[in-house]
Amino acid sequence: MEGSNLKSAALLEQLRVHLASGAGKELVEKIGFVYQLNISPKKLAFDEEVFVVDLKKGVVSKGPYEGKPDATFSFTDDDFLAISSGKLNPQMAFIMGKLKIKGSISAAQKFTPDIFPKPSKL
Amino acid sequence: MAMRHLITGQGNCAPDGASSSNPFGNLANAIFGQSSKAQSIKELPGSAVNVPTTSELGTAAPLSTIPGSENEFKQDQLPLARGADFIRGGPSHDWVESFRPPGLPEFAVPDAQLKEFEQIFNSTGPTFGPPVMDGPPQRVLSGVLRSFLASGQAGVPFQPVPVPALGLSESDKQCIRDRSCIMARHILADQPEEYIQAQVNTLLHSLDIDSNYRMKGPMHGPYPEMEEYWNQSQSAMRSGPMHNAADKWITEFGKQNNNPEEWAHSFEQQYGSNGWASEFEQHQSQMAMTGGMNMANLAAMEQSRMLAQTLASNNDPKFQNSKFFQFVSKMSRGELIIEDNQVKQGSASQSSGWADEFQTQYNANANSWADQFVHEEMSQGADKWASEFSTEYNQGGLNENWIDEFSKMRVDDEWAEEFSGGTFGESSADPWVDEFQNQLSASKQNSGASRGVYVFSDMNPYVGHPNPMQEGQELFRKGLLSEAVLALEAEVLKNPDNAEGWRLLGVTHAENDDDQQAIAAMMRAQEADPTNLEVLLALGVSHTNELEQGEALRYLHRWLQNHPKYGGIAPPQPTDSPYGPDVIRLFNEAAQMSPEDADVHIVLGVLYNLSREYDKAIAAFKTALQLKPQDYSLWNKLGATQANSIQSADAILAYQQALDLKPNYVRAWANMGISYANQGLYEDSIRYYVRAVAMNPKADNAWQYLRISLSNASRADMIAACDSRNLDVLQKEFPL
Repeated sequence: MEGSNLKSAALLEQLRVHLASGAGKELVEKIGFVYQLNISPKKLAFDEEVFVVDLKKGVVSKGPYEGKPDATFSFTDDDFLAISSGKLNPQMAFIMGKLKIKGSISAAQKFTPDIFPKPSKL
Repeated sequence: MAMRHLITGQGNCAPDGASSSNPFGNLANAIFGQSSKAQSIKELPGSAVNVPTTSELGTAAPLSTIPGSENEFKQDQLPLARGADFIRGGPSHDWVESFRPPGLPEFAVPDAQLKEFEQIFNSTGPTFGPPVMDGPPQRVLSGVLRSFLASGQAGVPFQPVPVPALGLSESDKQCIRDRSCIMARHILADQPEEYIQAQVNTLLHSLDIDSNYRMKGPMHGPYPEMEEYWNQSQSAMRSGPMHNAADKWITEFGKQNNNPEEWAHSFEQQYGSNGWASEFEQHQSQMAMTGGMNMANLAAMEQSRMLAQTLASNNDPKFQNSKFFQFVSKMSRGELIIEDNQVKQGSASQSSGWADEFQTQYNANANSWADQFVHEEMSQGADKWASEFSTEYNQGGLNENWIDEFSKMRVDDEWAEEFSGGTFGESSADPWVDEFQNQLSASKQNSGASRGVYVFSDMNPYVGHPNPMQEGQELFRKGLLSEAVLALEAEVLKNPDNAEGWRLLGVTHAENDDDQQAIAAMMRAQEADPTNLEVLLALGVSHTNELEQGEALRYLHRWLQNHPKYGGIAPPQPTDSPYGPDVIRLFNEAAQMSPEDADVHIVLGVLYNLSREYDKAIAAFKTALQLKPQDYSLWNKLGATQANSIQSADAILAYQQALDLKPNYVRAWANMGISYANQGLYEDSIRYYVRAVAMNPKADNAWQYLRISLSNASRADMIAACDSRNLDVLQKEFPL
């Protein structure tokens, strides 16, 4: 995502390219939900940047979703990366208060590390 | 008659044949003995005896009336009759008088006995004739005895009197002692035993007689049974028992009388001042503490219950039976409590079926929970959300849906599958407790270790090695990266300022796919040698891998500033936050200056990765590879760039080139797995991940990616082996 200093933005950009290239077609068929991600640099709910991962259309965009997303997640930058890389379990993050969820429960349950392509190391 | 016999019996107290220094004492005993014989003889002839008795009767009357004066008179008138006078006026006579209470008239029977007694004494008197008697001893002894009797009758304690030595023999003393004891008990029968003893002791003391003298043998008498009866009667008449009873009663009453005060004192000692108030305060404090603790637990249970209700809306039976869900249910019911970062068994632990209990709680609290949510949020969004929840709840009874889903055995929910562990129906929540505790421990450890600090290995066998630097270089060249790490750590422990040691250590960690440790080591190298170009490039690369754009740009910009050839291109003043496009423009100028410098192209490739201009990055790395085709790390960089630009197939080819050059390149193995996984080829990716972690068991990223691939490949049976990092099982299952 242009103009963002968040580390998560780099990963979401990769996801955007991933979905656009047709490699993420399976994700759209398997999940089919719209997720809004509120990511804050250090402290939860402070200086949030909003991203939308639309797995109905297979697009990733910056800014709030026009309409009602199926589920909305709030994390910090590091926690989002930890969840997407599989280092942090989403349920454990929820219990420990590192992750807040609003919206459809069934949609939230589909939000797993599988969605995100893994970055390769130079 | 009995009295007379008793009196005469006492006369035999002295043993027969005992010598005596007092002739009169001996005379008295002899007279008493003969008196008994005389009586026996005289009883037979009746008339002869009556004549002498009449003449003596007149004498007896005045004697009884005035004993003292009578004795005085007789002594003066009849000097020769002193012996008889002594005998008649002695203790025996007075002792007989004691049996007649004073003031009472004489009885006939006593008078008759008295006359007979007097007759006996008078008749025997003339028989002995005129014996020569020593007046003073008899007079003194008689006086003392009379005083004793008088004091007894009057009830006045006997006063000790100084008496000159009488020259009494032991037998005489014993006789007087025994008779005194007996007479005293007669006279003082109504007095306590102690009083009687005191009086007798005083008398004996006055006569210089030892009161503690023991009798040589038992007292003998003609009628022993009479003596026994007498003792018994004396015992019966004695008031000792009553006295003792009275004393006991008085003592008991005294004790009882003291009970109230004693009880009050005991109470004060036990409870102290304001004891009851203190106890009440303690009780209140305990209640408050208990209440507080319960409130805290109740709050936690309430939150868990809300979470459980939320999760319960998923009707998939796999999820209902998942360990995570049951873990949360137990928390909501208070069976598990989180205290001090520990999961403990709650006091409300129950063994009843969780499904039924949860159903009850769900039905009871669903509406209140929704109302609570509305109340807390007080906004339109909240209303909508609550309505949505109600709609979902009303769409179908949870119980019915759950049963239906259970019957259908649906298996398409990956989330439920992951957390149920693949074993359908598994109902234990314990593994979840363990995982939760592990997470808490890991979180604590992470917070403790600040970032950028190098963490040394434990039990390094290379510590103490004479030349660990050379050993590390050799191991690195052979490709034994984990061993090289240990040797190089020994080097930098030995020489903390060795920049080359730290640099090589950082490179080794980077190749072992551990950027955290690589960054920490390179920072130490940069401190030791701030202008080392290789260190600056390595730091730029590692920060790029960690998606830290700002730090990466800073280090790459300093690379350019410190370069001997291109330093002039960069602005002189240092910039803390260089602008990406500006840095790229500078490096492009450098590339034009020296097209043959591969390092410039490498840095450009990294910069284009940061700006996500992957096509340009690929071009830059390919240019560099034309110049340095044997650089395996360069091949890996090309492959990673292709992978990140979603050209996974091309990336695999590049990785293969890198691995051909360096087979133990752990990062390349991990990158291979990533490329297969990103293409959805999870089965293949598993084998490469296993290879990577086999070479470096500390590659945490590879372990995490392996778990995700196992889940996506529906190999839940191997997730346990992955969690426990059981390499043997994994390598056997996924050979490469």
